[in-house]
Amino acid sequence: MNDDGLAGVSRHPLEPDPVIEAYKRDIDRTLLRENLKRSVEERLRDLMRLQRFADEWRRAAQRTFR
Amino acid sequence: MIDIETALRVLATAGVEFIVVGGVAARAHGSARLTNDLDVVYRRTPQNIQRMSAALDPHAPYLRGAPPGLPFRWDADTIRRGLNFTLTTGLGDIDFLGEITGGGGYDALVTRSKPIAVFGVDVRCLDLDCLIEVKRAAGRPRDLEAIAELEALREERERFNKS
Repeated sequence: MNDDGLAGVSRHPLEPDPVIEAYKRDIDRTLLRENLKRSVEERLRDLMRLQRFADEWRRAAQRTFR
Repeated sequence: MIDIETALRVLATAGVEFIVVGGVAARAHGSARLTNDLDVVYRRTPQNIQRMSAALDPHAPYLRGAPPGLPFRWDADTIRRGLNFTLTTGLGDIDFLGEITGGGGYDALVTRSKPIAVFGVDVRCLDLDCLIEVKRAAGRPRDLEAIAELEALREERERFNKS
């Protein structure tokens, strides 16, 4: 794992919430594990790439379906 | 869409004291979720407000969702009179928050944040545990999946650290 030093220490650990626990079962952890191998800058650059793709996709959909 | 790189550079090089929170902070921790804006908690001192006003002024800040033509002025007086500003700018959507639910303002959050070096500048980012706490405190149903992902992320970190 890339030790980015961002984890922090919880002052008041929260009790598990059953609703959140239920949502957690559907989380794709392979993506998280891949992201943890990257540096913070790489993670943010990935976000910007994804934003550009989503933006382009939205515009293409608007052109196609208007 | 937000130009995170330029926005962080603009604020950091102007000496603005702020903490990255919200979706971009989650992404910095390793979240895979898409976010389209940058949320920051800013320090409400007169000097910082002045720096923030000057840094963003060239990027045409305007109230997001407001009808065009309102007499909105992005200056130190406006920032002093308000608290939280959801803005559209030439760099994308940026939320400047004086306080956040469950976390308070900059001075309360700064000890729960870590400095990170990105894009050639140093910025502060809320730590993962605090990010989870404030999202849970906000109590918004739409955050449930995001909280679940952040908690899963924390478990994955712990697993890696133990192995």
